[in-house]
Amino acid sequence: MDKMDKIIYGGLIIAFLISILSPFLASTNPDGLESTAEKVINEKVLHQNLEEIGLKEEGSVIPAPMPDYGIEGMGKIGEIIALVVGTMIALGLTYGLSKVLVKNKSSQYNQ
Amino acid sequence: MHIPDGFLPLWESAIFWLISLVFVARSIKWASKELDEKSVPLFGVLGAGIFAIMSMNVPIPWGTSGHMVGGPLVSIIFDSPWAGVLLITLVLIVQGLFFADGGLVVMGANIFNMGIITSFVGYYVFKMLKNVSIPVAAFAAGWTGVFLAAIACAIELAIAGTFPLDKGLMYMGLYHAVIGIIEGVITAVVVSYLSSVRPDLIKGLNKVISNG
Repeated sequence: MDKMDKIIYGGLIIAFLISILSPFLASTNPDGLESTAEKVINEKVLHQNLEEIGLKEEGSVIPAPMPDYGIEGMGKIGEIIALVVGTMIALGLTYGLSKVLVKNKSSQYNQ
Repeated sequence: MHIPDGFLPLWESAIFWLISLVFVARSIKWASKELDEKSVPLFGVLGAGIFAIMSMNVPIPWGTSGHMVGGPLVSIIFDSPWAGVLLITLVLIVQGLFFADGGLVVMGANIFNMGIITSFVGYYVFKMLKNVSIPVAAFAAGWTGVFLAAIACAIELAIAGTFPLDKGLMYMGLYHAVIGIIEGVITAVVVSYLSSVRPDLIKGLNKVISNG
Protein backbone atom coordinates (compact mmCIF):
# COMPACT_ATOMS: atom_id res chain seq x y z
CA MET A 1 0.00 0.00 0.00
CA ASP A 2 1.65 3.25 -1.05
CA LYS A 3 1.38 6.47 0.89
CA MET A 4 -1.42 7.86 -1.27
CA ASP A 5 -3.57 4.83 -0.47
CA LYS A 6 -2.83 5.29 3.21
CA ILE A 7 -4.04 8.86 3.14
CA ILE A 8 -7.17 7.95 1.16
CA TYR A 9 -8.08 5.01 3.40
CA GLY A 10 -7.07 6.90 6.54
CA GLY A 11 -9.27 9.80 5.46
CA LEU A 12 -12.21 7.48 4.79
CA ILE A 13 -11.83 5.82 8.19
CA ILE A 14 -11.77 9.23 9.87
CA ALA A 15 -14.86 10.34 7.90
CA PHE A 16 -16.90 7.30 8.93
CA LEU A 17 -15.63 7.45 12.53
CA ILE A 18 -16.83 11.05 12.74
CA SER A 19 -20.22 10.01 11.27
CA ILE A 20 -20.61 7.36 13.97
CA LEU A 21 -19.38 9.55 16.85
CA SER A 22 -20.98 12.82 15.82
CA PRO A 23 -24.48 11.96 17.16
CA PHE A 24 -22.88 11.54 20.61
CA LEU A 25 -20.32 14.34 20.50
CA ALA A 26 -21.91 17.13 18.48
CA SER A 27 -23.34 20.08 20.38
CA THR A 28 -27.10 20.52 20.09
CA ASN A 29 -26.80 24.25 20.78
CA PRO A 30 -28.13 26.43 17.96
CA ASP A 31 -25.48 27.44 15.41
CA GLY A 32 -24.30 31.01 14.83
CA LEU A 33 -27.07 31.84 12.36
CA GLU A 34 -29.83 30.27 14.48
CA SER A 35 -28.58 32.08 17.60
CA THR A 36 -28.54 35.37 15.75
CA ALA A 37 -32.05 34.70 14.41
CA GLU A 38 -33.35 34.00 17.93
CA LYS A 39 -32.17 37.45 19.00
CA VAL A 40 -32.80 39.72 16.02
CA ILE A 41 -35.18 38.15 13.48
CA ASN A 42 -37.98 40.31 12.08
CA GLU A 43 -40.99 38.01 12.47
CA LYS A 44 -43.12 40.02 10.07
CA VAL A 45 -40.61 39.67 7.23
CA LEU A 46 -40.09 35.98 8.03
CA HIS A 47 -43.85 35.44 7.90
CA GLN A 48 -44.12 37.22 4.53
CA ASN A 49 -41.30 35.14 3.06
CA LEU A 50 -42.78 31.91 4.39
CA GLU A 51 -46.17 32.79 2.91
CA GLU A 52 -44.51 33.48 -0.43
CA ILE A 53 -43.14 29.92 -0.62
CA GLY A 54 -46.03 28.23 1.18
CA LEU A 55 -44.22 27.08 4.32
CA LYS A 56 -45.48 27.17 7.92
CA GLU A 57 -42.04 27.57 9.45
CA GLU A 58 -38.52 28.02 8.15
CA GLY A 59 -36.88 24.88 6.78
CA SER A 60 -36.98 23.45 3.29
CA VAL A 61 -39.66 23.65 0.60
CA ILE A 62 -39.26 19.96 -0.25
CA PRO A 63 -39.42 17.48 2.63
CA ALA A 64 -36.09 15.70 3.12
CA PRO A 65 -35.95 11.95 3.84
CA MET A 66 -33.77 12.37 6.94
CA PRO A 67 -34.50 15.83 8.36
CA ASP A 68 -32.01 17.12 10.94
CA TYR A 69 -29.70 14.16 10.33
CA GLY A 70 -32.00 11.63 11.94
CA ILE A 71 -34.63 9.03 11.18
CA GLU A 72 -37.97 9.45 12.92
CA GLY A 73 -38.40 7.17 15.91
CA MET A 74 -34.93 5.67 15.70
CA GLY A 75 -33.06 7.90 18.16
CA LYS A 76 -29.28 7.80 18.17
CA ILE A 77 -29.13 4.73 15.89
CA GLY A 78 -31.16 6.67 13.33
CA GLU A 79 -28.73 9.58 13.59
CA ILE A 80 -25.75 7.30 13.05
CA ILE A 81 -27.44 5.70 10.02
CA ALA A 82 -28.34 9.13 8.63
CA LEU A 83 -24.78 10.40 8.93
CA VAL A 84 -23.16 7.24 7.59
CA VAL A 85 -25.56 7.25 4.62
CA GLY A 86 -24.90 10.96 4.10
CA THR A 87 -21.15 10.43 4.16
CA MET A 88 -21.54 7.64 1.59
CA ILE A 89 -23.70 9.84 -0.66
CA ALA A 90 -21.18 12.71 -0.37
CA LEU A 91 -18.35 10.30 -1.20
CA GLY A 92 -20.25 8.85 -4.16
CA LEU A 93 -21.18 12.27 -5.51
CA THR A 94 -17.74 13.90 -5.23
CA TYR A 95 -15.87 10.80 -6.39
CA GLY A 96 -18.37 9.99 -9.13
CA LEU A 97 -18.63 13.48 -10.58
CA SER A 98 -14.87 14.13 -10.56
CA LYS A 99 -14.29 10.69 -12.12
CA VAL A 100 -16.75 11.48 -14.94
CA LEU A 101 -15.21 14.92 -15.55
CA VAL A 102 -11.66 13.53 -15.64
CA LYS A 103 -12.72 10.68 -17.90
CA ASN A 104 -14.32 13.06 -20.39
CA LYS A 105 -11.06 14.97 -20.49
CA SER A 106 -8.89 11.93 -21.17
CA SER A 107 -11.28 10.72 -23.88
CA GLN A 108 -10.96 14.13 -25.54
CA TYR A 109 -7.20 13.81 -25.52
CA ASN A 110 -7.37 10.35 -27.03
CA GLN A 111 -9.38 11.49 -30.02
CA MET B 1 -24.53 29.12 8.64
CA HIS B 2 -27.01 27.21 6.46
CA ILE B 3 -29.83 29.64 5.64
CA PRO B 4 -33.24 27.88 5.77
CA ASP B 5 -36.05 28.59 3.31
CA GLY B 6 -38.11 31.49 4.60
CA PHE B 7 -35.20 33.72 5.60
CA LEU B 8 -34.79 35.25 2.13
CA PRO B 9 -37.54 36.43 -0.24
CA LEU B 10 -37.89 34.70 -3.61
CA TRP B 11 -36.35 37.53 -5.64
CA GLU B 12 -33.18 37.53 -3.55
CA SER B 13 -32.97 33.72 -3.55
CA ALA B 14 -33.23 33.80 -7.35
CA ILE B 15 -30.41 36.35 -7.68
CA PHE B 16 -28.10 34.20 -5.54
CA TRP B 17 -29.01 31.06 -7.50
CA LEU B 18 -28.02 32.89 -10.69
CA ILE B 19 -24.72 34.15 -9.28
CA SER B 20 -23.85 30.77 -7.79
CA LEU B 21 -24.74 28.84 -10.94
CA VAL B 22 -22.22 30.92 -12.89
CA PHE B 23 -19.53 30.03 -10.34
CA VAL B 24 -20.54 26.36 -10.19
CA ALA B 25 -20.44 26.10 -13.98
CA ARG B 26 -16.97 27.61 -13.94
CA SER B 27 -15.89 25.16 -11.22
CA ILE B 28 -17.06 22.22 -13.33
CA LYS B 29 -15.01 23.63 -16.18
CA TRP B 30 -12.01 23.85 -13.83
CA ALA B 31 -12.43 20.21 -12.79
CA SER B 32 -12.71 18.96 -16.35
CA LYS B 33 -9.52 20.84 -17.28
CA GLU B 34 -7.30 20.73 -14.22
CA LEU B 35 -8.30 17.72 -12.16
CA ASP B 36 -6.30 14.59 -12.98
CA GLU B 37 -7.05 10.89 -12.55
CA LYS B 38 -4.73 10.67 -9.52
CA SER B 39 -6.64 13.38 -7.63
CA VAL B 40 -10.08 11.77 -8.01
CA PRO B 41 -9.84 9.58 -4.86
CA LEU B 42 -8.57 12.57 -2.85
CA PHE B 43 -11.48 14.70 -4.09
CA GLY B 44 -13.88 11.92 -3.07
CA VAL B 45 -12.40 11.40 0.38
CA LEU B 46 -12.48 15.16 1.02
CA GLY B 47 -16.17 15.18 0.05
CA ALA B 48 -16.90 12.40 2.54
CA GLY B 49 -14.72 13.91 5.29
CA ILE B 50 -16.10 17.41 4.94
CA PHE B 51 -19.70 16.16 4.94
CA ALA B 52 -18.97 14.23 8.14
CA ILE B 53 -17.10 16.98 9.95
CA MET B 54 -19.77 19.56 9.08
CA SER B 55 -22.15 17.47 11.22
CA MET B 56 -19.96 17.84 14.28
CA ASN B 57 -21.08 21.07 15.91
CA VAL B 58 -18.63 22.28 18.52
CA PRO B 59 -19.94 24.36 21.42
CA ILE B 60 -18.82 27.99 21.52
CA PRO B 61 -19.70 30.55 24.23
CA TRP B 62 -23.18 32.15 24.56
CA GLY B 63 -25.00 28.81 24.19
CA THR B 64 -24.12 28.67 20.53
CA SER B 65 -22.27 26.14 18.37
CA GLY B 66 -20.50 25.96 15.04
CA HIS B 67 -18.86 23.59 12.62
CA MET B 68 -16.23 23.50 9.95
CA VAL B 69 -17.10 24.39 6.33
CA GLY B 70 -14.02 23.25 4.42
CA GLY B 71 -13.83 25.59 1.42
CA PRO B 72 -10.42 27.02 2.37
CA LEU B 73 -8.94 23.55 3.02
CA VAL B 74 -10.06 22.09 -0.32
CA SER B 75 -8.90 25.19 -2.21
CA ILE B 76 -5.45 25.06 -0.59
CA ILE B 77 -5.00 21.34 -1.30
CA PHE B 78 -6.02 21.65 -4.96
CA ASP B 79 -4.39 25.07 -5.41
CA SER B 80 -7.60 26.52 -6.80
CA PRO B 81 -10.65 28.20 -5.26
CA TRP B 82 -12.74 26.44 -7.93
CA ALA B 83 -12.02 23.10 -6.24
CA GLY B 84 -13.55 24.44 -3.02
CA VAL B 85 -16.55 25.89 -4.86
CA LEU B 86 -17.29 22.56 -6.55
CA LEU B 87 -16.76 20.32 -3.54
CA ILE B 88 -18.66 22.47 -1.02
CA THR B 89 -21.53 22.87 -3.52
CA LEU B 90 -21.83 19.08 -3.78
CA VAL B 91 -21.80 18.72 0.02
CA LEU B 92 -24.45 21.47 0.37
CA ILE B 93 -26.64 19.69 -2.21
CA VAL B 94 -26.46 16.47 -0.16
CA GLN B 95 -27.22 18.36 3.08
CA GLY B 96 -30.14 20.29 1.56
CA LEU B 97 -31.74 17.44 -0.40
CA PHE B 98 -31.46 14.63 2.14
CA PHE B 99 -31.25 16.34 5.53
CA ALA B 100 -33.13 19.65 5.20
CA ASP B 101 -29.98 21.43 6.39
CA GLY B 102 -30.30 24.68 4.46
CA GLY B 103 -33.30 25.30 2.22
CA LEU B 104 -33.50 24.43 -1.45
CA VAL B 105 -34.89 27.81 -2.55
CA VAL B 106 -32.07 29.65 -0.74
CA MET B 107 -29.40 27.11 -1.68
CA GLY B 108 -27.86 29.59 -4.12
CA ALA B 109 -27.13 31.92 -1.19
CA ASN B 110 -25.67 29.08 0.85
CA ILE B 111 -23.45 28.08 -2.08
CA PHE B 112 -22.41 31.72 -2.40
CA ASN B 113 -21.49 32.11 1.30
CA MET B 114 -20.06 28.73 2.24
CA GLY B 115 -18.81 27.57 -1.16
CA ILE B 116 -17.69 30.66 -3.04
CA ILE B 117 -16.70 33.16 -0.31
CA THR B 118 -14.90 30.70 2.01
CA SER B 119 -13.01 29.20 -0.94
CA PHE B 120 -11.92 32.41 -2.63
CA VAL B 121 -11.10 34.30 0.56
CA GLY B 122 -9.37 31.28 2.11
CA TYR B 123 -7.38 30.54 -1.03
CA TYR B 124 -6.02 34.06 -1.49
CA VAL B 125 -5.28 34.58 2.21
CA PHE B 126 -3.26 31.35 2.17
CA LYS B 127 -1.47 32.37 -1.00
CA MET B 128 -0.55 35.73 0.52
CA LEU B 129 0.79 34.26 3.76
CA LYS B 130 2.22 30.86 2.79
CA ASN B 131 5.77 32.15 2.63
CA VAL B 132 5.47 33.39 6.22
CA SER B 133 4.45 30.03 7.67
CA ILE B 134 2.27 27.22 6.32
CA PRO B 135 0.27 26.62 9.55
CA VAL B 136 -0.27 30.33 10.15
CA ALA B 137 -1.36 30.86 6.55
CA ALA B 138 -3.75 27.88 6.73
CA PHE B 139 -5.24 29.06 10.03
CA ALA B 140 -5.73 32.59 8.69
CA ALA B 141 -7.31 31.20 5.51
CA GLY B 142 -9.85 29.17 7.47
CA TRP B 143 -10.67 31.90 9.95
CA THR B 144 -11.01 34.73 7.41
CA GLY B 145 -13.03 32.59 5.00
CA VAL B 146 -15.66 31.68 7.59
CA PHE B 147 -15.76 35.15 9.16
CA LEU B 148 -16.34 36.93 5.84
CA ALA B 149 -18.90 34.32 4.75
CA ALA B 150 -20.84 35.12 7.95
CA ILE B 151 -20.58 38.85 7.26
CA ALA B 152 -21.92 38.27 3.74
CA CYS B 153 -24.73 36.16 5.20
CA ALA B 154 -25.65 38.97 7.61
CA ILE B 155 -25.72 41.48 4.75
CA GLU B 156 -27.95 39.19 2.65
CA LEU B 157 -30.36 38.84 5.57
CA ALA B 158 -30.30 42.61 6.12
CA ILE B 159 -31.13 43.21 2.44
CA ALA B 160 -34.03 40.80 2.92
CA GLY B 161 -35.14 42.73 6.00
CA THR B 162 -35.03 39.49 8.01
CA PHE B 163 -32.21 40.77 10.26
CA PRO B 164 -31.41 44.39 11.14
CA LEU B 165 -28.05 45.32 9.59
CA ASP B 166 -26.20 46.49 12.72
CA LYS B 167 -27.27 43.74 15.12
CA GLY B 168 -27.18 41.06 12.44
CA LEU B 169 -23.59 42.00 11.61
CA MET B 170 -22.65 42.18 15.27
CA TYR B 171 -24.00 38.76 16.29
CA MET B 172 -23.07 36.94 13.08
CA GLY B 173 -19.59 38.51 13.24
CA LEU B 174 -19.09 37.77 16.92
CA TYR B 175 -20.25 34.14 16.76
CA HIS B 176 -18.31 33.39 13.59
CA ALA B 177 -15.15 35.08 14.84
CA VAL B 178 -15.16 32.21 17.36
CA ILE B 179 -16.48 29.52 14.98
CA GLY B 180 -13.74 30.58 12.52
CA ILE B 181 -11.16 29.37 15.04
CA ILE B 182 -12.49 25.81 14.58
CA GLU B 183 -12.14 26.19 10.80
CA GLY B 184 -8.68 27.72 11.17
CA VAL B 185 -7.35 25.04 13.52
CA ILE B 186 -8.61 22.08 11.45
CA THR B 187 -7.37 23.68 8.22
CA ALA B 188 -3.94 24.30 9.78
CA VAL B 189 -3.71 20.76 11.22
CA VAL B 190 -4.67 19.01 7.97
CA VAL B 191 -2.53 21.23 5.72
CA SER B 192 0.50 20.94 8.05
CA TYR B 193 0.08 17.16 8.28
CA LEU B 194 -0.26 16.69 4.53
CA SER B 195 2.62 19.05 3.81
CA SER B 196 4.89 17.02 6.09
CA VAL B 197 3.95 13.51 4.90
CA ARG B 198 2.95 14.19 1.32
CA PRO B 199 3.93 17.70 0.21
CA ASP B 200 3.25 16.68 -3.39
CA LEU B 201 -0.45 16.26 -2.52
CA ILE B 202 -0.77 19.94 -1.70
CA LYS B 203 -0.66 21.40 -5.14
CA GLY B 204 -0.26 24.96 -3.85
CA LEU B 205 3.02 24.02 -2.18
CA ASN B 206 4.55 22.33 -5.21
CA LYS B 207 4.80 25.66 -6.92
CA VAL B 208 6.60 27.22 -3.96
CA ILE B 209 9.12 24.40 -4.00
CA SER B 210 9.62 24.14 -7.74
CA ASN B 211 9.82 27.90 -8.20
CA GLY B 212 12.52 27.98 -5.57
